[in-house]
Amino acid sequence: MQKLQLQEVSAGYGSEEVIHRISLEMTEPSIYVVLGPNGAGKTTLFRTICGILKPFSGQAKFDEMDLFTSKEARRRIAYLSHLNALPEEMTVFNALKYYADVEGGDVEHVLDLLSLSDLRDKKFSSLSQGQKKRASVGKIFLRERDLYLLDEPTSNVDPKISKEIRDILINLSKDKFVLYSSHNLYEAREIGTYLILIKNGELKFFDKIENVKTRQYRVGIKTLNDVSKLLPESKFENGYHVVTVGSPREVAKIVNNLVKLGAEIVELRELDNPLQEFFEEE
Amino acid sequence: MRMSFWQVTMKRSVRLSKTYFILGVVMTVYGIILSNVLTFVPANLATPTPVDLTNSFPVLSVALLSLSAVLFSLPVVMLFVYDKNSGVLEYLLSTGLDQLDIFKGYVKASLSLAAYLLVFSTITNSAVGILLGTNLGLLASMGVLTFAIGISEVFLVTVCMMAFSSLQKTPMGANQPLGVVIGVIPMFPALILPLIFPSHAIVIDILIAAVTLIVSLALLLSIGRLILREKLLP
Repeated sequence: MQKLQLQEVSAGYGSEEVIHRISLEMTEPSIYVVLGPNGAGKTTLFRTICGILKPFSGQAKFDEMDLFTSKEARRRIAYLSHLNALPEEMTVFNALKYYADVEGGDVEHVLDLLSLSDLRDKKFSSLSQGQKKRASVGKIFLRERDLYLLDEPTSNVDPKISKEIRDILINLSKDKFVLYSSHNLYEAREIGTYLILIKNGELKFFDKIENVKTRQYRVGIKTLNDVSKLLPESKFENGYHVVTVGSPREVAKIVNNLVKLGAEIVELRELDNPLQEFFEEE
Repeated sequence: MRMSFWQVTMKRSVRLSKTYFILGVVMTVYGIILSNVLTFVPANLATPTPVDLTNSFPVLSVALLSLSAVLFSLPVVMLFVYDKNSGVLEYLLSTGLDQLDIFKGYVKASLSLAAYLLVFSTITNSAVGILLGTNLGLLASMGVLTFAIGISEVFLVTVCMMAFSSLQKTPMGANQPLGVVIGVIPMFPALILPLIFPSHAIVIDILIAAVTLIVSLALLLSIGRLILREKLLP
């Protein structure tokens, strides 16, 4: 069974330690969303896992192989940084072929997978930001890997392509490990199975997203008839009766009760993302 | 057809900047003129000089031809800085390459480019020299010296420039010229000593080239070990 294991890993640049004693063990192929404010250490964590940074202390292993010293382990990892990292002077095809020449892979498959055929002969420097990102994402799919590290893969990408990329990752995660950093909390909730939260270089949370406990939960209820008397604690905002509860379970009770009392509910909307509070100051 | 990393790097360098290639070729032409110019000087015009101009003057062109090879291969190091800043090197590291693999790739590309120009300049110089009646022995030794010094210079300049670019904190590659300055230092003794000891010119220059090659190789292996992967990050 494949396993990504970090044991008390501290790492950084020069003498500056950025991530401190992080321990993680991932045994289930899935999408692990890595969340954290800017400067939290997400990129440093990714660079440590893909073997670019040598841990100051602790061990990072994939399939029991040391990630810094084992070339074989590193070859099984794909890393998409926040930079495009494609030669600007080349066409999309040649830029992808450049990497295919270095590490092997099938350019035609990538062009097809990410709908890049139209851009095939365009110079990378002439593309829009979104197109550049799409082409850049392509390089990690040149050949099959076991672990994918993606640093904000859908930033600057239009919704249609974002969805395509997410769908590819969801499909991949059936038998591959996908670590995905994002600032988009809704996207994180949509695709993630596990949540890794990093703050100030420390691991604050690592569990299934469904186990995220929130201090409060705000839900908007839209009805055809007036239910303000049935929900005396609620506030009416932008067409929604807004109720604040402690957990999603309480929402179910409220909705059941409203239906019994004759409320005609047409929409239920989560107004706050439970992951939001992870970004708030402690 | 699949190309190796250094071949792609060489190809990209050629596309990156044509100016340096043109400069390299122009300097080569100067070098060829310099090495054959004495053919045009009438023998009876010789005036007493402290050095034997007939034999030592063409040796000056060795320095010029070697420098043209350095100029010709400079785009490779410019590409190295560009790739470092744009995250290409970071991605290459993540694919399993080590810093030494990357340095070697750029050095090979640089040496290959230089070799193309040096072969071209040696053949052209010999052809021109034969046409003009330059001493064949002199032409042969100049060919050997140009190749030896040129390759060793390019090797040292490339390694020094990559080391300085990797170690500087600001990602602008502003320290690159230091690499050129350090890299061309061996060229001065290679230029001056043969004038002082004309009878030992070839041995001196071959020795300088050999020492430069060994130093460059040692430096390459050292930076491959001493410069951490993180120094190649943007």
